[in-house]
Amino acid sequence: MNYLTQQRRDALSAEYVLGTLRGSARVRFKRLILQYPAIRSSVELWEQHINALGTQLQPIAPDPIVWEKVKQRLQFDGANLASEQAVATNVVTLPLKSNRRWKGLSLLASAAAVVLAVLLVQLQPIPVAPVQQFTVMQNEAKESLWLIEITQQTLETRATQKVTQRAQNDYELWMVPTGGQAPISLGLLPQSGVASIAKHPQFDQIDIAALAVSLEPRGGSPNGAPTEVLYVAEIAIL
Amino acid sequence: MEHEEHLKLLGKTAAGDQHAFACLYEATSPQLYAICLKMLRRKEWAEDAVQDAYVKIWHNAGEYRSGLGTVLTWMVSIARYRSLDMLRFYKVRNEQDIDDHILLGEDDLQELSSADKQQLNFCLDELEDTQKQAIHLAFYCGLSHQEVTTHMDAPLGSTKSMIRRGLQLLKRCLGI
Repeated sequence: MNYLTQQRRDALSAEYVLGTLRGSARVRFKRLILQYPAIRSSVELWEQHINALGTQLQPIAPDPIVWEKVKQRLQFDGANLASEQAVATNVVTLPLKSNRRWKGLSLLASAAAVVLAVLLVQLQPIPVAPVQQFTVMQNEAKESLWLIEITQQTLETRATQKVTQRAQNDYELWMVPTGGQAPISLGLLPQSGVASIAKHPQFDQIDIAALAVSLEPRGGSPNGAPTEVLYVAEIAIL
Repeated sequence: MEHEEHLKLLGKTAAGDQHAFACLYEATSPQLYAICLKMLRRKEWAEDAVQDAYVKIWHNAGEYRSGLGTVLTWMVSIARYRSLDMLRFYKVRNEQDIDDHILLGEDDLQELSSADKQQLNFCLDELEDTQKQAIHLAFYCGLSHQEVTTHMDAPLGSTKSMIRRGLQLLKRCLGI
């Protein structure tokens, strides 16, 4: 099939964007988008027009927990989000002057909270999520690159010194279903240090043949499929 | 204007401004959630899709360019692709499920004023009712050819050509 004739390119691009291009044809087309700039342009043109339909749906506000989870996954520290509460709830912030009194009070409250926290920590054992499964991602020379520990809620990942640092790329972690379906993205791996990734809702519900690591542009796969698979490892159950 | 405001927030997001990203989320998440919920129909799946979409938007904010449409359209693309992927992975929707739901009612859609959207609506109105309905079902509800066929009670071959012809007419009318 010649994907590059303009008519064919248009038809496939439109159905890809609409969502009616499915299965292996969709996967193949995703690859072609990456490969051929002309196909990419055609898809972008259709995205621009067809996806404008999406803005016609009556908006529905998601549950606040969704934003909390986004922040958690992006590891936002909260320092830059000082005025987020005001944005989220349209609360009018108090003028600076009258804030001073509250500042004093809140400092006192913070100190009390610290004391309370210390007491609580002393009284209760620190809950540590038990590791259920793990894997070690290795390169061809059998050098360990990442340790990935799987708990009930998260994937705790730790990069070793052997990970090649890439400023222009990210490493993305995938689970590969046993049924031969396309890999499912689990999140980005750290190039150094540790990162906690929220567990994909499907993680415990499907049979996973292996975990895989791909090399991607910054920010992860641009199309939902791994760009270049580098390493694969099976999961061990503890 | 909405797009300029989004563009400003997205630009700051690309520079790592978490507050701007929070404002962008506040301004756009109801639209993205409505889309994901319509396609996936389960609250928890729609929430996951929205979550994934915003993580991607944070990482890819710097990749947006004006050639990709408005900021909101670009974000809709990300949310829809994520929802389509999830539909494929879950593969649990059956015909019964489709029949039991009113897929798309008039109340689901809102009036829009911008010129490009008016043009899109004008072009959609130029299509035959069945072509327009099939495209709407595929777009808003994430239905496959087979599912559109079942829902519209038409032969599979005719659904495929109905959608193909509809898209060709849209292309001509929109000047794509």
